[in-house]
Amino acid sequence: MASVASLPRARRRPRLRAADVPFIAFVLAVAGLIAFGAAVSPHDAVALDPLHALQPPSLAFPFGTDEFGRDVFSRVLSGARPTLLLALAAAAMGVMLGAVTGLVSGYLSGATDEVTMRAMDALMSFPGLVLAMLVVVMLGPGPINIIGAIALVFWPRSARLVRSMVVDLARREFVDAARSRGESPHFIIFRELLPNVLALVIVDFSLRVTAAILLAASLAYLGVGVAPPTPAWGLMVKDGQPLIEIAPWLVLFPCAAIACVSIGAVLVGERLRRVFALPGAEAGR
Amino acid sequence: MTGPTLNVRSLCINYGPSAHPLRAVRDVSFQIAPGEAYGLIGESGSGKSTIAFTIMRYLRGGHADGQVWLAGQDVMRLPEAALTQVRGRVAAMVYQDPMSALNPSMRVGEQVAEAVRLHRGADRAAAAARAVELFERVHLPTPSDIAQRYAHQLSGGQQQRVVIAMALACDPKLLIMDEPTTGLDVTTEAVILELVRELRRETGVSVLFISHNMGVIAQVCDRVGVLYAGQLVEEGRTVEVLHAPRHPYTIGLMRAMPQPGGAAHRLASIPGRLPDLQDPPPGCVFAARCEIATDLCGDVMPALLPASGREASHGSRCHYRDEAEALLPPPPLIAHGKASLGAGAPLLEAVGLEKRFGRRSWLRRAAPVRAVHDVTLEIPPGQTLAVVGESGSGKSTLARCVAGLIVPDEGYVRLEETRLAAQVGRRSRLQQRDVQFIFQNPDGALNPHWTVKQLLSRPVQLYTDLRGDAVRRRVVDLLEMVNLGERYLGRFPREMSGGEKQRIGIARAFAGNPRLVICDEPTSALDISVQASILNELIALQARHGTAYLFVSHDLGVVRHVAHRVAIMRHGRIVEAGDPAEVFERPHDPYTRALIDAIPTLVPPPAVAEARVTQIVR
Repeated sequence: MASVASLPRARRRPRLRAADVPFIAFVLAVAGLIAFGAAVSPHDAVALDPLHALQPPSLAFPFGTDEFGRDVFSRVLSGARPTLLLALAAAAMGVMLGAVTGLVSGYLSGATDEVTMRAMDALMSFPGLVLAMLVVVMLGPGPINIIGAIALVFWPRSARLVRSMVVDLARREFVDAARSRGESPHFIIFRELLPNVLALVIVDFSLRVTAAILLAASLAYLGVGVAPPTPAWGLMVKDGQPLIEIAPWLVLFPCAAIACVSIGAVLVGERLRRVFALPGAEAGR
Repeated sequence: MTGPTLNVRSLCINYGPSAHPLRAVRDVSFQIAPGEAYGLIGESGSGKSTIAFTIMRYLRGGHADGQVWLAGQDVMRLPEAALTQVRGRVAAMVYQDPMSALNPSMRVGEQVAEAVRLHRGADRAAAAARAVELFERVHLPTPSDIAQRYAHQLSGGQQQRVVIAMALACDPKLLIMDEPTTGLDVTTEAVILELVRELRRETGVSVLFISHNMGVIAQVCDRVGVLYAGQLVEEGRTVEVLHAPRHPYTIGLMRAMPQPGGAAHRLASIPGRLPDLQDPPPGCVFAARCEIATDLCGDVMPALLPASGREASHGSRCHYRDEAEALLPPPPLIAHGKASLGAGAPLLEAVGLEKRFGRRSWLRRAAPVRAVHDVTLEIPPGQTLAVVGESGSGKSTLARCVAGLIVPDEGYVRLEETRLAAQVGRRSRLQQRDVQFIFQNPDGALNPHWTVKQLLSRPVQLYTDLRGDAVRRRVVDLLEMVNLGERYLGRFPREMSGGEKQRIGIARAFAGNPRLVICDEPTSALDISVQASILNELIALQARHGTAYLFVSHDLGVVRHVAHRVAIMRHGRIVEAGDPAEVFERPHDPYTRALIDAIPTLVPPPAVAEARVTQIVR
């Protein structure tokens, strides 16, 4: 049997256009923030400075300071890494698990599908936060466990999404054509079906990144997530909440950071969806 | 009122930016007299549905110029409020797919009653009574009972009658029917066509009938217009146009149409494809595909004028309208000699195949449906066995059982001496190679994310020892075999026409030199001119490679053209089998006879002529 890898890969993607520049700039900015955020922050993100507690935004402290006198701007910059790395990893892991489960379950159907999807239902019957908390409490805190816990929450949701599309695709004649050719289920799932759900998986991922940031923040809020004084954005929102009336900047700027990344992630996801969508669609237009 | 019911004057419809528009319809004019039925023939992309929607001024993003006079009002200049008076009351539409024209969550009686209430202000009881009356009018059995049902509880033919009843709700002067019988079986189609004729006779309604099927048009229409690339290329009385066409395109269509009767000739296909409508040619639109085109045709657009010696109403948009038929080369006689039957052992045998769907379980009470019921058949090497049946006859299930895509409950399939595993995955690579499948829907059968090169390399790699550059050479050979070239290698399915996609499907099936190819309605999704070339392709490949075909189809004309033997299937059983000439000319089974009688032929039924006379007298 011919190896899967020997198939020629010829995919014409839309060429880079001026319209893509903002998306690339955004991805680079986020990557830069993760890599150098802590290094370029003007102040120490964790050192206490009671003399400058609760200062409103000024030239010296562009985002103001918190009740311990820590510079919010520096904390937002250095918080990018713990927040975003964790969110990206958790979203990627959950969506990947979900995609594979959805593909296999949706294609094989029958008893396999039934058992898998009921297991997914069982997972989904827990509220996301409770499930994640359970896992973290059982396994103990730590970034890897938090990533796993969040991925576990996303897994059944992504699996359902992908499965619903695969069930539809599996009825298409090109799948019958592959079967009558004598292809293995492995080939059909990963070479015939996967390219067709890729666009969906990417959009799903871009939405899950935001959800992961918020879920991690909630975990922190409940005291089982990232421990203080790590300047994770979610944690900052939580810590600033009691002081929101006298120092709104404590909540405003980390929230703005989360919003920027979320909106950006969705826009990039939307752009990628078009790139991975039906080939020839754009050329034909 | 004595004026025409519908008068379309130099209608142009453009889509897209006004600087560089897609010119979907160009300068189309025609009239429909009261009580007359006018047919518009055209293949996909000809603009026939666009015209129908424009008459109701449903433009959907397009821009229309010209005039559309409906019962004395110019639809193009009516204010929006007056339009609602026109839609439904003056002209009503019947769409191709009745299932999507009906609301699935509303009883069909209510839907029709709603139309009555809306347009006539009738109260509920009167509207409901009117709905039942309309159902009776369209000959629905037990109309008051049907009125209580939902669309999915009706058969396709019944659904279409409900839609027709809805269109008749306000006694319109014009019925616009857009491919009303395309999704239906021939026997159902015949009944609907009869209904249309009767409605014309009894209510005097005018009909604009849109179809790609010339037989259907001949059955209902007095006059016909042939559309090509948005232009009317020929127009005249149906009998005139279909029996003595004066435009090369119409002549081509007629020769491309496989017919169940008559001598078998090679179908003439029309090579090439539609011109780019964003940049239509300055001369004749058909010039690029025309066998008799000259320089004049490329430069000067011919006018729609009558041919000499013909009726003044019969016009053709061709410079050579007088001699077109004589100039075109005659259709070649069929190439395939009918080999003697029963010579040697059969290549493939299916023995006692049985497939039931919907097994009894604690969830499902319904008795299982026998889709295939004790079917035994054999196919000699290098020959074509056609299985004919209407939808639900089990013919596709049978094909899939043979292919191993569906596991039969009983029976087995034998390829020469060896018995094949029921599941295709359990068959040996060699057996998989020997039995290939060509699917009905060229859109669905090709993975949209694979290029042509990927689509064709895969079976070459699976079934042959070729590797590396040899695979590519083989793929190019395959492409050339189906009259496509190397330039198709990098294309995705989206970038090809339906006919091109189906050729890729054929090339894929032939990649490993199979012994048997199962063709499941391979041309039913294609235009007539494309169908002809695909059928010719299949016949040529069979002659060259000695491949046997199991050819599944609902179209007796197509079957007559390709089959060495034919089997008629109904309710999962084979009711009659034999030589096609024998079966079609002297059918023994009453169902076969009904099937053959239902095929719309080019000879109009006497009723059309009568209806015309009564209209004129009135």
